[in-house]
Amino acid sequence: MKSIIVSFLFLLNTLMLHAYESEDKLKTVIVGKIAKYISWNEHTSDYFVITVLNNEFGSLFDEVYRDRSIKNRPVKIQYITNIEDMNSSDILFISQKNLHDIDEILLKTKDLNILTVSDLRGFAQKGGSVQLYFLGRNLKIIINIDAMKEKHFRVNNRLIRVSEILKGEDDDK
Amino acid sequence: MISRYTSVLVSFLLLSFSLQAHENIFDKSMEDILAMESELKAEIGSRDGARNCLDSNTPVDVITYKQIESSGLLSLTDVLRYFVAGFNAPETSVADGSDHVRAFTLRGMSPDQVLVLINGKRVHTSALLHVNGVIGRGSSHVDLDTIALGAIDRVEILRDGAAAQYGSDAISGVINIILKGMGHKSSISTHYGQRSKGDGQKVEAEAFISRALKNDGFVNLSMEAIGEEQTQRAGEDHRVSPPTITSHVGIPESKSYKAMLNAEILNMDDLSVYSNALVNYRDSKASAFYRPAASNLVTKQGFLPQIEANILDYALSVGVKGTLGEHSTWNLSNSYGVNEFNYHVEDSMNYTLGTTSPTSFDNGGLKFVQNTTTLDFKKSTDILKIAGGIEFRYENYKINAGDEASYTNNNNFSIPSGSQGFAGFSPENEVDESRTNYALYVDSIVDLSKNLQLEVLARYEEYSDFGESTNAKFALSYKLNPKTLLRMSGSTGFRAPSLAQSFYSQTSSFVNSSTGELTTEGTFKVNHALSQELGAKDLKSERSKNLSMGTVYQPSKNLSFMFDLFFIEVNDRILLTQDIQTTKEQTLTYGVTAARFFTNAAQTKTKGVDVRANYQHFLHDNSKLDFSFWFNYTDNKIIDSRDDTSTYVEKVRIEDGQPKASVRLLTNYQINKFNTALNVSHFGEYYQAIGNEKYKFNPMTAVDLDISYNITKKSKVAIGGNNIFNAVPNKWNNLNGDFYGTNGIKPYSRYSPLGYSGAYYYLRASMEF
Repeated sequence: MKSIIVSFLFLLNTLMLHAYESEDKLKTVIVGKIAKYISWNEHTSDYFVITVLNNEFGSLFDEVYRDRSIKNRPVKIQYITNIEDMNSSDILFISQKNLHDIDEILLKTKDLNILTVSDLRGFAQKGGSVQLYFLGRNLKIIINIDAMKEKHFRVNNRLIRVSEILKGEDDDK
Repeated sequence: MISRYTSVLVSFLLLSFSLQAHENIFDKSMEDILAMESELKAEIGSRDGARNCLDSNTPVDVITYKQIESSGLLSLTDVLRYFVAGFNAPETSVADGSDHVRAFTLRGMSPDQVLVLINGKRVHTSALLHVNGVIGRGSSHVDLDTIALGAIDRVEILRDGAAAQYGSDAISGVINIILKGMGHKSSISTHYGQRSKGDGQKVEAEAFISRALKNDGFVNLSMEAIGEEQTQRAGEDHRVSPPTITSHVGIPESKSYKAMLNAEILNMDDLSVYSNALVNYRDSKASAFYRPAASNLVTKQGFLPQIEANILDYALSVGVKGTLGEHSTWNLSNSYGVNEFNYHVEDSMNYTLGTTSPTSFDNGGLKFVQNTTTLDFKKSTDILKIAGGIEFRYENYKINAGDEASYTNNNNFSIPSGSQGFAGFSPENEVDESRTNYALYVDSIVDLSKNLQLEVLARYEEYSDFGESTNAKFALSYKLNPKTLLRMSGSTGFRAPSLAQSFYSQTSSFVNSSTGELTTEGTFKVNHALSQELGAKDLKSERSKNLSMGTVYQPSKNLSFMFDLFFIEVNDRILLTQDIQTTKEQTLTYGVTAARFFTNAAQTKTKGVDVRANYQHFLHDNSKLDFSFWFNYTDNKIIDSRDDTSTYVEKVRIEDGQPKASVRLLTNYQINKFNTALNVSHFGEYYQAIGNEKYKFNPMTAVDLDISYNITKKSKVAIGGNNIFNAVPNKWNNLNGDFYGTNGIKPYSRYSPLGYSGAYYYLRASMEF
């Protein structure tokens, strides 16, 4: 009887491993992971602030980053519906709802020390810093290196290794 | 001591278990997160956009491009047979045009009751109409083998009626082929294989070229060239002395060249222009039955007619889409497709021309053209999503006559006329017919509560020849708890007779399998004088009712179960009659000894169950194990037969000609640079009737294996096999005819779901750049 219980627990142990996640959750989580491998020039807040512009991920950002820290600072999530309402932030996540305003958003954030991340198609080519997309069932990252340099971000090699690197708006991938 | 050890082990396991049960995705490394797979999404089944298959209100399955690659298969028909329990695609022989365009069925129903889409747009069908005694007899359908596998991102299969969404044909299900989009790397690959018997060599070369455009637009071009030798599984011909193998029974010899383009140009101000195109040229050769010297009415020498099919298939789809304010989209597209099927017969003769007969013939051909223009709108709010649109379609069907030598009877009505093997189309068979139809449809999804969703659809369609049809569908899904989804759908549907069914006609010589005698028989249009004399009536559309109910249970994120029951009733099902013997006067008048035509012959009922389980096991050393189990049971019955034109042979073909039960067990293990795909396919018993006798063929199980190794990050080699243990069907049991029988020319049934060519082994290599 004991051996059956042990065997069952052992089997259950091996079964309770990684599984698939929703696309939205993977995008939400990777934002924080990417931040780990990017160096900002300065941080003015006691918090690591992620601002979500026109959120379409429900409560995922709150759930994922509850009681979490990035760069030793507790994460704070801000939700805004208008770029004008943005306060100081480390990351600006731009949802697909902002398709029509993307040029204006990138212009307004161009000189700010904010990492712009989005899952809009063409975002990196338009000047955004980091673009997320799915190839099949796997999440992919595109980094606009020139946009990063303009903002004086330093990108760790570990992030570069797992990303597609885009140089310049007209660069071919 | 042992007891203490066991206690420690149990404690460790319990602690480990509880820690893992609470492991948070945020604690994983960036690389682990990028290696994780998202949910399997599909667009088919709703106009609400791609959604998680496990949350779908109707049963939807997806085959990904990675799965297609690791199957080692080279045709879409074979891919679907490999992965989908309940999908059947026998390989036929000595069946004229049917040897060159494989018929396929879903849930044992007719091939023309499956709608096929590419990127959500209807695909044109083949011009070929199956008129021989094959599975799918009487139907014309999409030629799946025109599609380049390398162009495919995923294949979505909707196992439900969907005529209210997509229009005619979507009765047993819908197959939506999604082409690769942005982000795929360019690549080249090659494949070489052969059968365990040493024949059936196959060589394939493929290239996929992807070019990124501005704003993540793309242009992707896929090109494939495939050459395949025939396989030979014929039995000895006892009509000759000594008995010798005289005919060809097996996979035909073929060469196929395919190209597919998929492109999208994005304007960040919300407009995008998209296009896809395909072209396939295929040259395929198979034989008719051998004509022994004794039956040669002219030269007294035996010969084996070779029927060659030259198939040209091409299509172009262009569209533009954009948004209309927040949460509203529109999409305007036009899809144009053509299939041309031309026959040539070699190594044959026309007896009525005597010694002046040529031995090669241009037998004429078939052509089908379809053009579909669609305008869709979609709007979403918090609790309601609504979509609608209009569609206009034009179809044209042509038959072109062959050379006179291929069809003439030279005014001799006493011997079979036309080129032996397959007589050419005569001027009397020529046809150039068109029709149009337009449709209006609306689709709404409403969240009745947090857990309850209702989708209601309606479609009005009017054909220039068959009048109007209004169909509706409802689909309900209820989240009983976070792990359990209940779903149910009901719909009406229809299928308008194809232009081929309305206007195909052709006469040819056949070898009577009982007497060995050569006879001239024909397929005639419904409105032909002979058909009318034999009792033909104007065709009506088939009408269907579908009901399905099921559940999805996900005890954990890596384990899911699906259970779906289905019931389908088809009224006025269109079937080709059996060969009706003509009177002497009719033979003299029309030149045939038997005739057949299309008729709304029967009411059929289809019921069954699909059971699916999927399990994914991701190990800490970056290895991954995927299991998938699929059981399908389908029962088809003819409930009511209108007249005696549906004979016993047809009844057995529909009710028992395909396995009722089939199983797929798919496993994939990926570790470091190796990937192993091991699949087991099981097909239940099936039957074929000859005359009034029904013959049983035993269940079969095939094992497929593919082992690939990544030499570098961009290059890969693989070795594999399909049906590696060489499962072959049993031969006819207690049947000893010259043509069909244990020792006959065709010792196996043409209904065999796995064919009868046996094991196939291959090597493949690919490289990205």
